[in-house]
Amino acid sequence: MGYGIEIKGLKKEFGSKVAVRNLNLRIPEGSLYALLGVNGAGKTTTIRMLTGLTKPTGGEAYVMGHSILSELHEVKKLVNISPQETSVAPNLTVRENLEFIAGIYGFDKTRTEEKVREMLAQFSMEEVENQKAKTLSGGWQRKLNIAMALITEPRVLFLDEPTLGIDVLARRELWRKIEALKGKITIVLTTHYMEEAENLADEIAIMAKGELMAVGSPEELMRRTESGCLEDAFVKIVEGVSYEE
Amino acid sequence: MKSKVFAVRTWKEIMRDPLSYIFCVGFPLVMLVIMSIIDKSIPVEAGMQVFRIRNLAPGIAYFGLTFVMLFTSVQVSKDRTTALLLRLYASPMKPVEYIFGYTIPVVVLAVVQMVICFGVSFVIGLCTGTSLSVPEVLLSMVALLPSVFLFVGFGILFGCLVNEKAAPGLCSILISAAGIIGGIWMDIDGMGGAIKSVARALPFYHGVSLARLPFRETAEGTVEHLLWTVACGVVVYGLAVAVFHGKMKKDIR
Repeated sequence: MGYGIEIKGLKKEFGSKVAVRNLNLRIPEGSLYALLGVNGAGKTTTIRMLTGLTKPTGGEAYVMGHSILSELHEVKKLVNISPQETSVAPNLTVRENLEFIAGIYGFDKTRTEEKVREMLAQFSMEEVENQKAKTLSGGWQRKLNIAMALITEPRVLFLDEPTLGIDVLARRELWRKIEALKGKITIVLTTHYMEEAENLADEIAIMAKGELMAVGSPEELMRRTESGCLEDAFVKIVEGVSYEE
Repeated sequence: MKSKVFAVRTWKEIMRDPLSYIFCVGFPLVMLVIMSIIDKSIPVEAGMQVFRIRNLAPGIAYFGLTFVMLFTSVQVSKDRTTALLLRLYASPMKPVEYIFGYTIPVVVLAVVQMVICFGVSFVIGLCTGTSLSVPEVLLSMVALLPSVFLFVGFGILFGCLVNEKAAPGLCSILISAAGIIGGIWMDIDGMGGAIKSVARALPFYHGVSLARLPFRETAEGTVEHLLWTVACGVVVYGLAVAVFHGKMKKDIR
């Protein structure tokens, strides 16, 4: 199996501040990869670089074999993002939001209708399909946010804190939806919820101050740091406590 | 194709806001009716022509365009402050497709607004015994087109430069300026002096005068009004496109 994403020495500086420093990472195609880190660790900046929302100041990255520097237009056709903030058209209904994004990615009428129905069913949104997005609860908006990213059939999906600010039941439901995608597409997930990463991710990359601190499966990271849970392992890694490499 | 999809979205977003109907159609029509009533109350001996339906109709049609500017600015600024544009920046959409996607629906809105305004003016004309002919109305609508782009340009520009809360405030300055210095509510030609000099240095007076020309017996000033209106429309709209493009580049820097 090839790599969905291959990052080579990626760097991003905002003036004198280094947001991402010499990042090297290989994410296997079809895997669910979690990027963990405290606020300002460089997770969102990394995602923004890989989706063309921010230009790197150094290094290179390939998404499904396409360079983010020289083939960004091709990359954009293959990826989609569910941003941290809910990004829906507020006065459009759930159905119209899905149709809108499908149209932006060039789907014809038949394919759009087919995909809209699929997304509505996959995310159990039939009951709210004619409701305006601005009237939805936080949980529904989050689901719509992800469905809008998935409707374009991306080969690589970036989920930037997808369950931020929603209740535990809605979060669990979203986990099930995300889990169902495993193996079908490459997913890069950022989250502050360790439990989320532990439950969903095949592999985890931990970042701190723009640098990659550790990579491994949740079990590997816990074993290496002699921790009983991922949260403890995360804290040890981020705080620089020495552990077995 | 992507422009069309984006334009349909923008149209729906604007048209589903009840304020769009109140300000884009309702308010200009109320002004049209009120000013026509006022005109009836002014003695003929006063010689005040500004509220006569043949002057008022193109003036109000122009005034309505200022509200198109308001809604354009609010829509652009709202999109910029929400994460929707972020999602779209990650899509294969090109900058020009955003511009068309914002421009097409508001130009359609402006034309619909003009048709309604002139339609109601036609009825008022029939009631007051002053006729507006179809060719005059059509010519006036064509003459208003450069001003449509002027106000759409201002709308996009303000939407790029300020947030959703500041945009209406900024627009209200131009709405007032267009109404007063544009000569919609007062006779600038009859006033002369500094006011007329200021009015002639801004696009509003020329835009209103150009829209009124088809209803006048003289074609005096056509070239001046046309040149000013077209030039300002091109410059402001061009500037808006450049600023939007620049902001987009900055957002994804």
